[in-house]
Amino acid sequence: MYSSIFFLLGLIALADVFDTTRELCLKSAINSLDGYSPNTIKKVLQFVWTLVRLPKVWISFLCSVLSLFLYLFVLSKADLSVAFALDSMHYIFIAFAAKWVLKEKFGVMRWMGTICVAIGITLVSFSH
Amino acid sequence: MFKKRITLKILLFLIASDILETCTHYCFKKSTLPVSEITINGFSSAVSFFRIVVFSPFLWLGFLFVGLTFVVWSTILSKIDLSVAVPAASFSYILVPLVSIVFLHEQIDTLRWCGIAMILLGIIFASISSKEKRIV
Repeated sequence: MYSSIFFLLGLIALADVFDTTRELCLKSAINSLDGYSPNTIKKVLQFVWTLVRLPKVWISFLCSVLSLFLYLFVLSKADLSVAFALDSMHYIFIAFAAKWVLKEKFGVMRWMGTICVAIGITLVSFSH
Repeated sequence: MFKKRITLKILLFLIASDILETCTHYCFKKSTLPVSEITINGFSSAVSFFRIVVFSPFLWLGFLFVGLTFVVWSTILSKIDLSVAVPAASFSYILVPLVSIVFLHEQIDTLRWCGIAMILLGIIFASISSKEKRIV
């Protein structure tokens, strides 16, 4: 019983790692197109067209497909509420990734915000 | 060289991306409903499963929503930091319970209200933190 819980935990963590990689690749691809500020529909379409031709964005698509498959597999084994609560750890993963890889500036406020959202989602998923 | 600050426009974009994402999940679920009684235990059943799913209009509607979500989400990320956008995009955890209270007359217990309040607090904190940044 316990081993299966740890197995699911590992799978969800892996799915969250893929999720984090997806967001990191997408954001760093967007950062590499510095200076783009899409304000009109036409500019948004140009921006997206430039974006989808970057290899990093394709890595990000691949990661989202992998994470989707893993998550579907987990959902076939575990309760939705448990899977959902554990999935809230990807907020923490993304926070660390944004701090270390993208060098985003973290104040106390932002940490508190991230942690509050993660706790809130855990609470919501365990209530009925 | 632009300010990375959450504005009302970005907030509306975040809500739009949440709604689009919800539509995506709804469509994908809807496309698999006619095949829910098929058990995949071999190659031929897998083929018939995919044949039904691929011809479902909901699957293609779902892909359309995936594309739209990508456009909206990348527009958001071009304006604000990832570490602000991700917590701020958790609006759906608040919108869905609110919709179920108003339209479905569901009961929400104390624990869930606490969770909703925590998420809202987190979104507010993360949004305020985006103002700490000076012009990059």
